[in-house]
Amino acid sequence: MKIFKSIKWRLQLWYGLILVVVLAGFGFTAYQLERGRVLRKVDDELNMRLHLITDALHPPPHRPGFGPPPPDRPPEGPPMGAGLDNELPRPTNQFQLSAWAEHFFGTNDGQNFYYVVWSRYGDEIAREGAVPTHMTAMKAAEPVDVRTLDGFREIHSTFPLGEQITVGRSLAPELKDLRLTAWRLTAVGTAILLVGLVGGGWLVGRALRPIDGISAAAVKISAGDLTQRINVAETESELGRLASVLNSTFARLETAFAQQQQFTADAAHELRTPVSVVLTQTQTALNRERSPAEYRETIEACQRSAQRMRRLIESLLELARLDTGQETLKRLCFNLAETVNECAEQMKPIASQRNVNILTGLAPVEIIGDAERLALVITNLLVNAIQYNRPGGEVRVKLEASAGLAVLTVSDTGPGISGEDLPHVFERFYRGDKSRTTSNGNAGLGLAISKAIVEAHGGTIEVSSRENVGSTFTVRLPLG
Amino acid sequence: MRILIVEDEPDLLRSLAQALREEGYAVDSANNGEDGLFNAESYDYDAIVLDVMLPRLDGWEILKRLRKTKKTPVLMLTARDQSRDRVKGLDTGADDYVIKPFDLPELFARLRALIRRSANQTTNIIEIGDITIDTAARKVSLKGKPVELTAREYSLVEFLARHRGEVVTRTQLYEHLFDENDSSLSNLLDVHVSNVRKKLGADFITTRRGHGYCIE
Repeated sequence: MKIFKSIKWRLQLWYGLILVVVLAGFGFTAYQLERGRVLRKVDDELNMRLHLITDALHPPPHRPGFGPPPPDRPPEGPPMGAGLDNELPRPTNQFQLSAWAEHFFGTNDGQNFYYVVWSRYGDEIAREGAVPTHMTAMKAAEPVDVRTLDGFREIHSTFPLGEQITVGRSLAPELKDLRLTAWRLTAVGTAILLVGLVGGGWLVGRALRPIDGISAAAVKISAGDLTQRINVAETESELGRLASVLNSTFARLETAFAQQQQFTADAAHELRTPVSVVLTQTQTALNRERSPAEYRETIEACQRSAQRMRRLIESLLELARLDTGQETLKRLCFNLAETVNECAEQMKPIASQRNVNILTGLAPVEIIGDAERLALVITNLLVNAIQYNRPGGEVRVKLEASAGLAVLTVSDTGPGISGEDLPHVFERFYRGDKSRTTSNGNAGLGLAISKAIVEAHGGTIEVSSRENVGSTFTVRLPLG
Repeated sequence: MRILIVEDEPDLLRSLAQALREEGYAVDSANNGEDGLFNAESYDYDAIVLDVMLPRLDGWEILKRLRKTKKTPVLMLTARDQSRDRVKGLDTGADDYVIKPFDLPELFARLRALIRRSANQTTNIIEIGDITIDTAARKVSLKGKPVELTAREYSLVEFLARHRGEVVTRTQLYEHLFDENDSSLSNLLDVHVSNVRKKLGADFITTRRGHGYCIE
């Protein structure tokens, strides 16, 4: 059932159970103590009466000043002891309790004490009061035995000569009182239980309320509203700390999501222009009959757009593979200087077209890595350095080993990168010039890919720039 | 009708210009923001197709600066399809917004609507006496019968019809009917006017000597 899955209700249940056990234990103990006290009181009364009868059966030697008056004296008023008029041993089947002692038995005082005396032969020789029907002489091993039977409390005493005395009384009034006590304890316990449950529920609800807040925020976030945050009132409590942690997680999630969205939007945006070209070109061409030259022109334009889309898709796939770590880099030992040199040689025709001079200073450096991919990085850096240069400018390429790292620097003498753009140049689709320079088909992914490749090699790439002086890209790779 | 296209993707610019010329528009083009703004400020175009992402000066900036001097209808052409970009474009003073990639027929329809609205007309049909001009189909009919006009002749009729009751100067006509690629022979306009009069009636277009032409 759903209600038992809820922490609040489970806590309530356990709490309630523990409370019931504690209250029941307490109530039971209190009841037992009270019962013990009542029985002791009754036992004291019974013992006192037992002594009266014992004294009557076996009168103690007279001691002046103590006990009952001498038996030869006529009794006057209520006697002070259970005096018997004969000190000589008498046949024990004759038993007479003094009137004074009699006073303690019977129903006259509402206490219902009774006694039964048996002779050593087992004959009943005396009985007084409302003796219950179950009464029989016993063969008790103990000289004195206390028992509770059918709502009667009895003390049974067996004398060395075999006489037996049972003194008892009904426990009805005490049992009635005890029942009342039990009811009272139950009532008080139930009241405490209810108060406890209500108070516990309030406490649990209060303690769990922040969790409701957290789950409400989490529900909204899972529904897609990533701007939601948990309202953290107390940051020091356990739940407050949890909420803070969740909030920072949500913030990171939102950032990552926004980046992803931006990336997707940018990628879609980059694809829109070539698709527009294809659509416009083909729709225009198909509008009417064209000359073969015009068709050719249209097809060439479509081809250029398709090439551009292909380059973009390849770049995106490369990035995606590097992102997920799916791309397995080759791990081969090679001389980075040779690779740099090859790239520089390849770029020289483009550089001379733009009247840019490439200068190299390369120390042989062996590293372990993917030569093809690192060549892509070097080419990207060189293309940028040539493209963003002034006519007659220079591109300086330097490679050296330093502190266990291969350090490659590519510097240009171009206009430099503004401080505003500098932190973003490695971001995907970021262009210093806010407008697209579509003519060179540069989607703004080159540096992002370079960074991903270098980092996959365990290296770093950074840029420094001074406006109107030039920019320097530095790649550091661990030595092989 | 003369239109300016500002677009930095050369293939797109070329094919758009060609398609619009084939629709009978006079088309000027610019492949960067600065040239685009210069052109837009220099002539009274009937409409401008403006890309947002441009080198040197982006579409927003061109629009902002242009709006200080001119009310030329502007259709923004952009790859950004987020609603806040559209809102920004329309709030900056763009009259319409088309997202790349677009369909040419839709772009043309939007341009026609833009030009129509700027002339305070609500339908594509202009009726002048017996003559009906359907600006969507670019067809003219006289007493219900279609009249064959060349693209240039049609443009002349449409421009004059849109400015019905106004005297349109020869310079205005040159500016709106011919683009920077046309060699403007001074008598070319007279040839077109005379051809239109032959087809639609001599008194359809009246000449105001020293001023220009007019459709009453």
